[in-house]
Amino acid sequence: MKKNSRATGPTRRRVLQQAAAFGSAIAGAPWIARYVHAQSFDLGAYQSAKINWRIAEGQSINVAVIPASYFDNLIAVTPEFEALTGIKVRYDKVPPGQIRQKVVLDLSSKTGNISTHAGDPMYLPLYAANKWTEVLEPYLNDPQLTDKGWFRYEDIFEAWRKADMIDGKTYAIPYNGEMTIQTYRKDLYDAKGLKAAETFDEIVSNAKAIHNPAERLWGFCLRGMPGAGQNMYIYPSISGAFGAKWFDAAGKIKVNSPEALAALEWYVTTNNTYAPQAAQNWNWPDIADAFAQGTIGCYIDGHSAVTVIANPERSKVMGKIGFARWPKGPGGKRVSSIWNWAMPINAAMPEKARHATWLFIQWAACEETQARTSYKFKGPGKRFDLNRLSMWKLPDYLETMKNAGSNFVKASLDSLDLDTDVDWRPRVPQWPAIGETMGKIIQSALVGQVKPKQALDDAQQQVERIMSGA
Amino acid sequence: MAAPSVAVLIASTTLPLVYLVWQSLRSTNLAMPGMDHFVGAENYLRLWHDGRFWDAFGFTIIYTGSTVGLQLVLGLALALLILQIPRAQWAFRTVAILPIVLSPVVVGLFWRTLLLTPDFGIVDFASRALGLGSHNWLGDPLLARISVTAIHTWQWTPFVFLYLLAALSTLPADLYEAARIDRANAWRRFTNITLPLIRPAIVMVVILRMTVALSAFAAIYAATGGGPGTATEIINLLAYRVSFAELSLGYGAAVAVVLLVVTMVVAALLFRLRRAL
Amino acid sequence: MVVAAMLLSIWVVPILWAIITSLKNEKEVLAYPPTVIFTPTLHNFHEVLFGPTNIVSYLTSSIVLATSTTVLTVLLAVPAAYSFARLKLPAKKPMSFYVLATQLVPPIGLIIPYYLILNRVGWLDSYKGLVLIYLTFSLPFAIWLLVSYFEDIPREMEEAALIDRASRLQAFWHVVLPQARGAIGVTVIFVFLNAWNEFLFAVVLGGSNVSPVTVAMYNYINTEQTQWAQLAAAALIAMLPVIALGIAAQRHIVSGLSAGSVKGVTRR
Repeated sequence: MKKNSRATGPTRRRVLQQAAAFGSAIAGAPWIARYVHAQSFDLGAYQSAKINWRIAEGQSINVAVIPASYFDNLIAVTPEFEALTGIKVRYDKVPPGQIRQKVVLDLSSKTGNISTHAGDPMYLPLYAANKWTEVLEPYLNDPQLTDKGWFRYEDIFEAWRKADMIDGKTYAIPYNGEMTIQTYRKDLYDAKGLKAAETFDEIVSNAKAIHNPAERLWGFCLRGMPGAGQNMYIYPSISGAFGAKWFDAAGKIKVNSPEALAALEWYVTTNNTYAPQAAQNWNWPDIADAFAQGTIGCYIDGHSAVTVIANPERSKVMGKIGFARWPKGPGGKRVSSIWNWAMPINAAMPEKARHATWLFIQWAACEETQARTSYKFKGPGKRFDLNRLSMWKLPDYLETMKNAGSNFVKASLDSLDLDTDVDWRPRVPQWPAIGETMGKIIQSALVGQVKPKQALDDAQQQVERIMSGA
Repeated sequence: MAAPSVAVLIASTTLPLVYLVWQSLRSTNLAMPGMDHFVGAENYLRLWHDGRFWDAFGFTIIYTGSTVGLQLVLGLALALLILQIPRAQWAFRTVAILPIVLSPVVVGLFWRTLLLTPDFGIVDFASRALGLGSHNWLGDPLLARISVTAIHTWQWTPFVFLYLLAALSTLPADLYEAARIDRANAWRRFTNITLPLIRPAIVMVVILRMTVALSAFAAIYAATGGGPGTATEIINLLAYRVSFAELSLGYGAAVAVVLLVVTMVVAALLFRLRRAL
Repeated sequence: MVVAAMLLSIWVVPILWAIITSLKNEKEVLAYPPTVIFTPTLHNFHEVLFGPTNIVSYLTSSIVLATSTTVLTVLLAVPAAYSFARLKLPAKKPMSFYVLATQLVPPIGLIIPYYLILNRVGWLDSYKGLVLIYLTFSLPFAIWLLVSYFEDIPREMEEAALIDRASRLQAFWHVVLPQARGAIGVTVIFVFLNAWNEFLFAVVLGGSNVSPVTVAMYNYINTEQTQWAQLAAAALIAMLPVIALGIAAQRHIVSGLSAGSVKGVTRR
């Protein structure tokens, strides 16, 4: 009995595997075929660069990304890269909740599996401290690998470039990014003669004027979900606007200063008064969904929400949206977030593989590809979160963004230009732990489990423990 | 016949176990790799003094106990009821399979957004329609605990139902005839005949459900992420958050080891119970 | 009857709601009060199966993974459980408990060592690597489940066969196995289901080659938005293979579930 079944076992599996491969080839083929047959690739724009794209021909790289339409577009145009360079690219789509851990696991054990990934810039200090990823200046300055005149690295938003630099050295190249801006119902505001809030007090007064939960309209909403990339994405803007500093005079992290406390109290009070109860557990897609259903009067969150709120298939408030910058804090300061997905190079790979990875990154971040995944993209869902300032001013791009809402481009660009601060969150290797810890504590304060003062004092204790290396 | 597979089995499960215990005796923080060092029992001592751990421990016990208890009561009640209607049984059995085969991640997500979100979900809608008002089902700590217990119970009660229905269907009818002749009422029939006969089945299903409840991860993670704050953190989730989100591998390993010990003790007790029957 | 129907609705309603959601347009999904009357559309199913981010390749990945795991588990567990049940091994009781206990180790503690080991032998992101890891938790479970059923099968029948000059192997194949059909059916279902719904190990130890449908769900929960209708459609489709297997094995399961638990008692 043993011998017989052992023989059928692996064979059956092999047959299944073949069937599976066959099946997926059939399933995937039509769509890819449609794309491939659409044109033989027009690579002229790339070949004008004075580098030899085929320098790492035959290499195979692995790119970890999160599931998102802006990466889906990149994946769709990757066959062009493969034709251009002869490098094979495999993508690994990892959910955002797991990608940081998976990457850290690969980097820390130096297994060299993930060539590059959609990196969280707040993790770059961690990478740099451990030398897990390469310093990129040598790649940028090597004429064999980069045609500086063609690539125009300085054209990429300065705030994002700075955010990806540690101690003056670049560790990752921004592929795309976002900023947080005020988003409001222009129609409702106009009806009551309101304008976008310039100060935090105005946010509250605007909210009060239109707040009407009986008719399912909540005045103002901020996200509450705990996490380093969740409510800790918004809170630092508030605390920064209120004048709180992350480091005290002695250079130690301090999270319970009086300014920080004022900020948390504002956050808690305002969200508890004007936001739906559910918001304490909401992340930005939830707010975007709610706004798109017409139940929120105003919120402040990532500008990428236009994918939902300005999407005729999902939104009931098309044409009724207005955008503005963050309001000013008591000291007159506005603080927006700096977020970008940045691609580093895994240091645990052999040289040829690293060159291949650099070519990929250069290709992804260059103007032509940014265009091909945006207004030149043949599918639905054209990207709008381009990484280059000059592109935001192109007529083709503005045409694509026309329907987003009033003042979208100006508010976004101004926020990026004037309101961002690279050190808006403390750039220390222990950030992941600090962010997670504070995120949980802030949510506890939001739901009333603990008072803001107690919350921040607890946070301070835990942060000190984290910084001391426990 | 068994030796090779058992040998491979023991090797593959013991080695990681040893690694886990070794890891728990060190302080390892991925954020500062150069600072790994042996700390002996320090992680465990910290655990002992850590309020968050004891909260998680307490909640784990309450959560496991209540969900398994509820599953048992509801599943048994359903099984007894459906037993009386042999003709409709196939319908119930088919429906019962569905929640069990749903991916726990999806269950958590759906319950979170489509059902339980205050002002937006249908459970909230229903509770308002019934005059119970709207509540922050997942945002209020106490309600969140009740909600995650309810979600787990919802998904797994059908399992208990199916299992006990099968057990009950095999009980010979003549036993009941004899009892009826002796004029025993329904309750006496239940406690004196049915219950003792299916006790082994009950213990078996309790063991199965308890091990699953203790290691429940995906659904709670998807529904609340362990929140609000740390209200719905069971030990398994705490270990995950500490190891991966806070990158503190040594401490996380210690938490995991404690969970393992607790699980083994509980399982051992239940095993004794089963053998004694 | 009424009570039963009411209780049943607790389980039917959410599932029904998921089905309804998958037939709605995205805009409708979050409408409040929730709508039950609407124009249904199959667009979501179409997108999920044929669109640019379709889940077909993920489904095949899941099928290969779960099927391989199940087949290998049964092949290895059945003989092992039989030996445990029959042979008079001195350390039987603690061994079988140990076998169960090892699968109670929280997955968190195991991810990192498994990752390192698989990487060392170059089996990361490969079916053989992942199936091996899945075996470490499905095999103990299967053995533990099967042992009790094998113990309940009276030895007299095999002994009769042995007296008729059958080899131990033939006795096993022709006499014991048919009786254990129910138990094996139960084991197959459990192992398949566990492998099918596994998420954490799959996402960390898999990658571009091995990407089951549990990871694919997250394609619909991407950073900008959650596409609820498509997620519902994908989740429902992901349920189908397991349901199909369950229905096919149902006969065996029912007899299997009852045999082990109750028969043991009535024998006394």
